Amino acid sequence: MATEAGPAINPIEQFSLSPVLPISIGGHDLSLTNSSVYMILAVLIACALMAVGAGGGAGVPGRVQALAEMAYEFVAGMVKSAAGEAGMRFFPLVFSLFMFILICNLVGLIPFSFTVTSHIIVTVSLALLVFFTVIVVGVMENGLHFFKLFVPSGVPIYILPLVVAIEIISFISRPLSHSVRLFANMLAGHITLNVFGGFVVMLLSAAGAVKALAVLPFAMTIGLDALELLVAFLQAYVFTMLTCMYLNDALHPGH
Amino acid sequence: MAKDDESELRARLEKLSGALKAQRPAPTPAVRPNAANSSDSFGSAMSLGLRAGSEFVAAVIVGAGVGWGLDWLLRTKPAFTIIFFLLGVTAGIWNVIRATSSKGAPPDRNSRLSAGEVGDKDVPRGAPSGGDEDEG
Repeated sequence: MATEAGPAINPIEQFSLSPVLPISIGGHDLSLTNSSVYMILAVLIACALMAVGAGGGAGVPGRVQALAEMAYEFVAGMVKSAAGEAGMRFFPLVFSLFMFILICNLVGLIPFSFTVTSHIIVTVSLALLVFFTVIVVGVMENGLHFFKLFVPSGVPIYILPLVVAIEIISFISRPLSHSVRLFANMLAGHITLNVFGGFVVMLLSAAGAVKALAVLPFAMTIGLDALELLVAFLQAYVFTMLTCMYLNDALHPGH
Repeated sequence: MAKDDESELRARLEKLSGALKAQRPAPTPAVRPNAANSSDSFGSAMSLGLRAGSEFVAAVIVGAGVGWGLDWLLRTKPAFTIIFFLLGVTAGIWNVIRATSSKGAPPDRNSRLSAGEVGDKDVPRGAPSGGDEDEG
């Protein structure tokens, strides 16, 4: 993708990993990459937000406290509505997931920063964490009754095998759709932003009056940025919402 | 203990919302307030659309993958791939029906009642009852 003259624009380059602090243990590459740095940053931001937000306890809350309480109330409402009061046991997990994804998405929108959630390995690990939590908790809570999840009640015996197969496929497809959705949205959004940003640069480097055309992709970039802000929040919300719904299945299988 | 926390929190929140109304709710509107009203319909519609698409595709891929895996294990080349691909399509449609019919949950997340029922109703309501009549 190295270009002919003009500025080099490679919309994929923003996702490349580069070691910040090379570490090699026993021949394995365990370097601290830019991705790891941004993950640590996201965790630190979340911790700082909650620590400052919970620290004061002022009568009239300040901005940080209001933000922290809003985040808490938002996720708590989500957990309660999707998984019931019993689901509040998973609140720490769900809240951590939400804050991590949301902050990663939002930090990724800052120009020149790295978007952790645009790598499928990250989203798959998060989705598999949820997937296995559901299975382990489901089996621990309900024993074999958990597998009633695959056997809907009121289905005649002769189509039951078919329905069970479909339910199992549907269950296995969850981590896939769960992770791909977040990953694909972030990836696509950032590529689009980069491409339109690239158009601006390309048009500006063109001759004479053509430069004026750069306004169009620039306006588009601004619009897309707003959209990406929405998507960043929305994807964190959808991921968390589905986590709650899956956890609900672990707590109340069958019915 | 939990109850106590809850009521305390609620009281605090009421105070908070009162104070917020009095002041201006300046702090970063990106995180939530807007999601509740103006952009919510657009946002939830968009998220639902994205969800439905990915749920469908994921189920088809998993179905075909399982079939291919079984074929590879049992050396029955096209048979299971075909069967499980079709099952995957069915599961995908089933997923989409589920995602769209429990749609009440995300937007109405404030009303505890409807949300509680969605999970329960989810399984028996949709296809099985309709499917039974056709078959039987």
